[in-house]
Amino acid sequence: MDRRSVSTLRSSLAAPFSARLLDRLKAYWAALGVADPNLALALSEQTLRRLPDLSDEAESAARAIIAAGELLDDWLAAALDLPRPSPALTAARAALLSGAVPGWPMALFAPPGAAGIALDRLRTAIAEPTPAPSPGAMPAQRIEPLWKSL
Amino acid sequence: MTQPSSSSIGQTLRRVVFFLLVTVTTLVALGLLVSVFQTNGFSPMELLLLFLYTILFSWICISFWTAFMGFWVILFGRDRWAISRQPPGASLDLSAPPLRTAILMPIYNEDSERVFAGLRAIHQSLAATDSLDGFDFFILSDTRDPDVWVEEELRWQDMVRALDGKGRIFYRNRPENTSRKSGNLEDFCTRWGGRYRYMIVLDADSLMQGETLVEMVRLMELHPRVALIQTPPVPVNRESLFARILQFASSLYGRMFTAGLNYWQLGESNYWGHNAIIRIQPFLDHCGLPKLPGREPFGGEILSHDFVEAALLRRAGWEVWLAYDLEGSYEEIPPTLIDYAKRDRRWCQGNLQHLRLAFSRGFNALSRLHFLMGVMSYAASPLWLLFLMATGVEAYLQTQQELVYFFGENWQPVWPVSFAVEMTTVLLVTLTMLFLPKLLALLLLIKDGRLRHAYGGMWGATLSVLLETVFSVLTAPVLMLFQTKFVLAILMRKAVGWPPQQRGDHQTGFSEAALAHGGHTLIGVVAGTLSYFYVPAFFWWFIPVLLGLALAIPVSMLSSSMALGRQTRQLGLFLTPEETEPPTVLRDLEDSLRNHRPVLPVLREIPANRFLQVLTDPYVNALHRSLLPEREPPNKRRRHYLEGLIQQLEEEGPDSLNPAQKRELIADPETLLRLHALFWTRPLANAG
Repeated sequence: MDRRSVSTLRSSLAAPFSARLLDRLKAYWAALGVADPNLALALSEQTLRRLPDLSDEAESAARAIIAAGELLDDWLAAALDLPRPSPALTAARAALLSGAVPGWPMALFAPPGAAGIALDRLRTAIAEPTPAPSPGAMPAQRIEPLWKSL
Repeated sequence: MTQPSSSSIGQTLRRVVFFLLVTVTTLVALGLLVSVFQTNGFSPMELLLLFLYTILFSWICISFWTAFMGFWVILFGRDRWAISRQPPGASLDLSAPPLRTAILMPIYNEDSERVFAGLRAIHQSLAATDSLDGFDFFILSDTRDPDVWVEEELRWQDMVRALDGKGRIFYRNRPENTSRKSGNLEDFCTRWGGRYRYMIVLDADSLMQGETLVEMVRLMELHPRVALIQTPPVPVNRESLFARILQFASSLYGRMFTAGLNYWQLGESNYWGHNAIIRIQPFLDHCGLPKLPGREPFGGEILSHDFVEAALLRRAGWEVWLAYDLEGSYEEIPPTLIDYAKRDRRWCQGNLQHLRLAFSRGFNALSRLHFLMGVMSYAASPLWLLFLMATGVEAYLQTQQELVYFFGENWQPVWPVSFAVEMTTVLLVTLTMLFLPKLLALLLLIKDGRLRHAYGGMWGATLSVLLETVFSVLTAPVLMLFQTKFVLAILMRKAVGWPPQQRGDHQTGFSEAALAHGGHTLIGVVAGTLSYFYVPAFFWWFIPVLLGLALAIPVSMLSSSMALGRQTRQLGLFLTPEETEPPTVLRDLEDSLRNHRPVLPVLREIPANRFLQVLTDPYVNALHRSLLPEREPPNKRRRHYLEGLIQQLEEEGPDSLNPAQKRELIADPETLLRLHALFWTRPLANAG
């Protein structure tokens, strides 16, 4: 992510709604584990860039939260080479947010190749709820009363 | 399937002797009663009494002779035909799946903390045997409660992290809990059954030692014609007085009964639904349960599936064994009399349904007997009640007869014949059959010093048996009325729900006891008053039953007391080997429940409710969505329905939704994501 490009957005978000939206997004990024306020702001602005239309306040706010998650998914998909959308990507997001990779925001912005350990940890932490299927047939048995044979 | 094994002459002889003993004892007791009744010809009431007595006494005889044979088996060492002592069978079928075993824990709205603590203890015990590689764990959730569902997911994930169990500890929640537990297991078998040769089925409160699990697999490998081995689960871990008495009785007498059952059932034994190992391929081939034609209670879904599955395996020629000598298999029992009755209510309908199956085509004679024994476990209660009532009426009719000493011209008086000796003999025989097994169990302790110590020494064990006998005499009439009510309700097609068990220790308050036992007390008082005034002689015989009913409320309350349970333990009463010297797996469970520190930070704090947490917490939300099964997006109608629920949640808050509606909301990934976003943009009403 280019952190310099987001600063240009700040001037265009002076309106009260935009400020509220930005606050919300910052809070959300903090809940996702981004402790650095500057980074949270940068990510929030990056998120807002993804929303072309901010006219409907209520709708925009909800879309912004979803967009924040999608931003995270984009990085995860690229870093772990996962298709999107996919259950594996949702599982990767869960693994990231579980605390399995301490300080993940730093790994997020690390130069290519430097995030190896964090990514390994993340791969290990991705849940595998069920094994690959190996189906078998279980036909219903016939249970008939004795008198049917009479 | 290859040829079924042919029973040896010795094995057949065992059954012949057993059924001969049951038949002869029943006929002797019946003969005594007939000799009393036949003097003046049989009245309809006497014929009814004879009929009921025959059924009930033969039921007691089966139990008595089973215990008696178990007594001899334990007295003279192990049974040489036990599955653990049999020589290896023919070589294995090479097309069988690889040797892997799935340990299955089907759960339904259970206490997640206890479920996962139990699994951790089993895992730890298995790890100590260095055999983890051959086993996978499956938590097969049928949970409907949304809070419990989310809690399970978090605890599963925590367990995987803590035990490095990725790819070995699995979890899934079924979208629909079709056919309850049997459907849950069928779902496992049809989806992943091909990966495993065996499955070990547990219950939510089951515990098994690692060595036992390994031994079960070893026995199955040695005996390729065996499809199922049931271990006898010993009740443990409860602290209330009621449960401790039951634990003591099950432990001390139970080992004799299971040894006896194995003595005459051998490879045609039964399945009790959990703590058993099953060969998956024959289970797939032969245990698909049909829906029985007709209406409930005898038609519809098969409720108590375990007996039926064992019978179907036997029908297909496979062997089913009870490994009575395999230790390290445990379960927990209901903590109070009322909870015990609730469990009976759930089991009753399934067992009555077996009446129909006992007369279905193709089943072995012993499978039919298992079905009938299942029926009798509950039908015996209304039959006993009817027997007691008929006895009372007969006694009353006897008091109304005027004695005639002189007949016609005869000047010598004809004295009425007294049958006190015969009647007393009948009573004594019946009581002996009921109580002698308790004495036999005590006698076995004389032989085994280690066990004697484990049960609190000879005096402690003897006193415990005496007190347990008094307690069972007091509670038997209450259970008789409970079960009679359940049987009648089922026969009248009144719904009998399957509520989840309240498994943890808790005490019965006065209002709960009065509500449950008020009717019993009233019946006891009315029956006592009537018999005292109209049939005084009968009243005194009837005292044990009347006392049990009259004292139902205080007995139920007092026996639920954990303080009394602990005090009796300190006094050395009702001790079991598992209390005196707890096995590792039980100690690990206790340790896990007390000291477990979750790996996941989200589990370290207790939230107001998990439903709100899954909407709000980004991690819990993502984890839950990642575990939802892939399915088609909702159709238009369903989308409208979900929209309505979202609106209701937004406007009226989460408390306005019932658990099923909450589940609907969090079962759809799109809706869940939307709610998550909504929460982060505007707080929900009453969300706290």
